Amino acid sequence: MQDKPVSEKNEQGLTERRSFLKWLIGALTAMIGLITGIPFLRVLINSAPLQKLSYVEVGDISSLSIGQPQDMNFQVRVTDAYLQQEVTRSVWVIKHSSTEMMVFSPICTHLGCHYKWNPQTRHFECPCHASVFAVDGKVIGGPAPRSLDTLPHKIENGRLYVEWKRFKVGVSDKVRV
Amino acid sequence: MNRLWKWFTDRWPYYQLRDLFLKEDIPGGASFAYTLGTSLITIFVLQAVSGILQLFYYVPTVDHAYDSVSYLRTEVPFGWLVHNMHYWGAQAMVLIVALHMMRVFIWGAYKKTPLTWFIGIGLVLTVMAISFTGAPLIWDQAGYWAGEVGSSIAGQVPLVGDLQKIILRGGEEMGQLALSRFFVFHIGVFVPFLALLVGAHVASFRTSGVGGSWNEEKQRLTGPLWPDQIFKDMVTASVVFFCLITLSVFSPVPFSGSADTLNISYVPKPEWNFLFLYQALKYFPGTLEPIGAAGVPAIFVLLLLIVPLVDRNPERNPFRRPVAMACLFAYAGAVLALTIIGYLSPGFAQIPEIKETKATEQKAAAPQVSPEVKRGEQIFRSSGCLNCHKVHGEGGSVGPELAGVTLKGKSRQWLTDQITNPRLHFPKGGPKTTMTAFSNLSKDELNDIASYLMSLTGGGNTAAEAPGGGQKNSTKEAEKGKQVFEANGCSGCHKVNGQGGSVGPELSDSTLRGKDRQWLADQITNPKSHDPNSIMPALTNLSKEQLDNLVSYLMSLTVGASSAAPSGGEGGPVAQQGQKKTAVSSEVAGLPEVPSEEKALEGPVGRAAFIIGSAENGADLYKEQCLSCHGVGGKGGLPNPGSDDGTVPPLDPIDRKLHNADVRVFAANIDKIIQHGSMPSGPHPALHMPAWGDTRSLTQEEISNLEAYILKLNGSDRGQIINPGIEPRMFFFIVAGLYVLLILIQGGIRIKKNIP
Repeated sequence: MQDKPVSEKNEQGLTERRSFLKWLIGALTAMIGLITGIPFLRVLINSAPLQKLSYVEVGDISSLSIGQPQDMNFQVRVTDAYLQQEVTRSVWVIKHSSTEMMVFSPICTHLGCHYKWNPQTRHFECPCHASVFAVDGKVIGGPAPRSLDTLPHKIENGRLYVEWKRFKVGVSDKVRV
Repeated sequence: MNRLWKWFTDRWPYYQLRDLFLKEDIPGGASFAYTLGTSLITIFVLQAVSGILQLFYYVPTVDHAYDSVSYLRTEVPFGWLVHNMHYWGAQAMVLIVALHMMRVFIWGAYKKTPLTWFIGIGLVLTVMAISFTGAPLIWDQAGYWAGEVGSSIAGQVPLVGDLQKIILRGGEEMGQLALSRFFVFHIGVFVPFLALLVGAHVASFRTSGVGGSWNEEKQRLTGPLWPDQIFKDMVTASVVFFCLITLSVFSPVPFSGSADTLNISYVPKPEWNFLFLYQALKYFPGTLEPIGAAGVPAIFVLLLLIVPLVDRNPERNPFRRPVAMACLFAYAGAVLALTIIGYLSPGFAQIPEIKETKATEQKAAAPQVSPEVKRGEQIFRSSGCLNCHKVHGEGGSVGPELAGVTLKGKSRQWLTDQITNPRLHFPKGGPKTTMTAFSNLSKDELNDIASYLMSLTGGGNTAAEAPGGGQKNSTKEAEKGKQVFEANGCSGCHKVNGQGGSVGPELSDSTLRGKDRQWLADQITNPKSHDPNSIMPALTNLSKEQLDNLVSYLMSLTVGASSAAPSGGEGGPVAQQGQKKTAVSSEVAGLPEVPSEEKALEGPVGRAAFIIGSAENGADLYKEQCLSCHGVGGKGGLPNPGSDDGTVPPLDPIDRKLHNADVRVFAANIDKIIQHGSMPSGPHPALHMPAWGDTRSLTQEEISNLEAYILKLNGSDRGQIINPGIEPRMFFFIVAGLYVLLILIQGGIRIKKNIP
């Protein structure tokens, strides 16, 4: 296209200029990628802050028999991101006396399934990967990495109150999430 | 027209693109073995189209995802077809990907085009990722648990586990954020990525050329891709489509019920294509878990990746590559074996120690079991006694448990009488028994059964032939009381020794301790005297003697503490206070109590009526919650003295008034009763239907499953397609007819034009 012969110096200058331009294209692209990329990716890593703990009323425990695990349901209002929902939760309770009990989270410590009580074997059994827990929550079989998670609770006027928490599954330490 | 076409192709690279895709010579010519790849592309297009069609109805929210899919499947013309083909297409895709890969391995094609092989591995992983993220979108039981467990496994991977889990779930719980993410990953991330990889895959083998036949002789002759190979591809694709339609018509996806974490009668298991990983995971307990979670899949992938690197032998004929073929069979065999073991595994725990103790127990017991007892057990089982009676916890709960104390002190004669004529022990006017008279058994058989039953009592009464002869009067009373207890269906609501319903409190030591005879008698005849809000029905039809016996029985449940003598007012008030609330239900205590007035029995149709439940899970829930009153399979239940019907109404067939041809209305009719309970007509019905929904004893999802089951008992299908477009079977016949027609026409053309 160019009619005029280009001087050597000029050509060298153009080559330099063009490689500089290439560098600049790369740099600009990288900059745009960086300033948008990091916050954009951060959007995906959104872990909600730990919810505030409070005791929730689970129910009356006077009718429970001693030493017999029982699952008790209770209603709580929870916020799931932007949804306000009335949710039914359950806990496993074992009464030792009218003032002492054990409250287990219903979530298997292995991978988060809900386990069942087997009255024949008197064990808690998880249907997902066959973890087995003794009545005191200790692991006696299967892949579960730790005992069943106990939940803090208190008894007032014969009624049970539980502090609902979730713990990380699949690890040997009880880490609240 | 031609000029217009030329104008267009001058300005747009139509021919170049066509040649890029279709101009290819295949060494050795076309073959049906090479058709799997194009089948996959065809299925991919099907999945994309059926997926987009579903998006016109689907909403990715936890409260409506399941219902929106149900609506699409039942009320949108051909919605059933779109959903089922999407489901079966997904299954076919995974299967054909595996077959395609095996084909490429056997033909040694990866030797010619290693890059294509590597991109192929990326495709396999992406297909698995799409399969994994697709299942939870329905937010049914199967999908919810697949998502919950799958993302927990992703969370176990060392180092990046937590990050992976957070990216997948958007938080800690499997909630709305998790569903949104599965949705976007499924349609917005992995699918475009898959399309990209497919493009790269095709471009890669166009560049390096296709492998073709392994036979060097044959390789000299080539055949064109278009139309020779594409024709064969199309034939295979047509067969695949026909299979998908057939499966969609005759094996539609079952409704597994809306996601519900509280329903623990559901046993989660992964989709079949993840079963091998599920099974492998079981071999890594405790701290080894991360190895199972990350290591096993990594090894499976790594083995695929190293194939072109390790196998540098240019030989492609499988018959001259024994080692490679052995590796293939070992790999495929391992996956297949793990899948089958995983499929057959019961899900539930089997701990070795317990098996051993059971075995030793049985061994220890074995020498003592006489042949009579053994024969008796066989007759007992084959006669269906277990439908109603439990023996050591196994069996139905209509009749009493036969192992342990129930039959203690009963003579051989008493037992044979009870079997051949149960009414003999239930005098007229008193409580009735629903037990069938087994009059067709021979004398020997009866003797054997009696021996067996006597062996269940723990060996106490074999010698004592006189009924209750040596026992104390009070025990005898308690024994009679137990019969009264069972005949009146008390166990429908109350547990005793862990057996029975869970509407009322368990009647054991702790609940009854400190109560005196008068208190118990009052509670039975007029429960409102102790708690005005009690939902317990008043048993006013009992005779004085029956009441006395029942009270004696209840007293016998406490460990001898309160005895027959009235213990005075001291324990009374305190205990009464405890009793006050438990009358509602131990399970639902703490919730707003149900007013016991009649109006509580009426109310609006609940949410459950609009959920299409799982009849299969409903059957399990029925056994746990309803069978004790309504009987096995809803065939008819316990006697209900004081009601006009005299028994708890059967559910199969259910009251005609509840029937409706529209399954939605039918479900709604049943729903009202399950939600709010009902009071049978009659002077003083002893039993009434508890308000399962109002008391939140069952979740709405569980109620929807029960409704599906009850509809099924009555010959209706809750998941019935209301607006099919064309009835599925009819549609199938039309499709099949078209296929046959096309085959005939092409056959005719061939004969006429003499085309080989």
